Amino acid sequence: MNTPATQQSTGRQAGLGRIIIAVYGIFAISSTARAGYQILTKFGEAPLAYALSAVAAVVYIIATIALASHKPGSWRLSLIALLIELVGVIVVGILSFALPQDFAHPAVWSHFGQGYGYIPLVLPLIGLWWLFRHREPAAGR
Amino acid sequence: MIVDGFFIAGAIICALSVLLSVFATITRDHPDDYAIISVAAVEVFLVVYGISAAIRQAGGQPIAGETWEFWGYVATALFVPVVAFAWAITDKTRWSNAVLAAVGLTVFVMLYRMEQIWDGAALA
Repeated sequence: MNTPATQQSTGRQAGLGRIIIAVYGIFAISSTARAGYQILTKFGEAPLAYALSAVAAVVYIIATIALASHKPGSWRLSLIALLIELVGVIVVGILSFALPQDFAHPAVWSHFGQGYGYIPLVLPLIGLWWLFRHREPAAGR
Repeated sequence: MIVDGFFIAGAIICALSVLLSVFATITRDHPDDYAIISVAAVEVFLVVYGISAAIRQAGGQPIAGETWEFWGYVATALFVPVVAFAWAITDKTRWSNAVLAAVGLTVFVMLYRMEQIWDGAALA
């Protein structure tokens, strides 16, 4: 809390970074609620799509916590979470077009996040760009 | 949905707030005073809208749609400018202006829905 304001305002968690964390938080909550509801009520209808929804929810939760964290290693964890997210949305996006019968029910990442205005596709790109602009300071700075 | 004076006034205030805040996002590297004032104007509009709705309802103009849904939107919308204001005073960067810009957009969509509920229009 005693960090000078100028230093804080250029940090990974400030400015656009705070907006990115907020959007990840919204996705973490909404995708967890939706995946939980889908799995509890109609898992049998589209097990693959709903299982992938649950994976997406876990990735969003980890990404939100890692992005917001000041702990050492959180930068690295953010990078891993965002890379998994980017690969996930691309692979699931391709699969949903290649195997439409398995993705008849909507999931967060199906059709490249179409149901969410393609935000799931754009978000990891913006997040990765932001992460590389705000690398973790080297130890003993 | 019937376009009434409340909707037009709200739409203009929200549009001006979004324009000012987007402009501030581009030109300022700190939360802009006028962007904050415009978000305060959105809040004032919502308070006036809520009081007017209560008076209209008490005066025998019932809500055609679900009453709890209408007031749920009013109550939630009232928090939106407050949260953005708190954001702007705790994050003194350019990007607070973008958060302030989101207020006008969010409140406009919510106002649109409130007006639909008031007139009893089905969800589009």
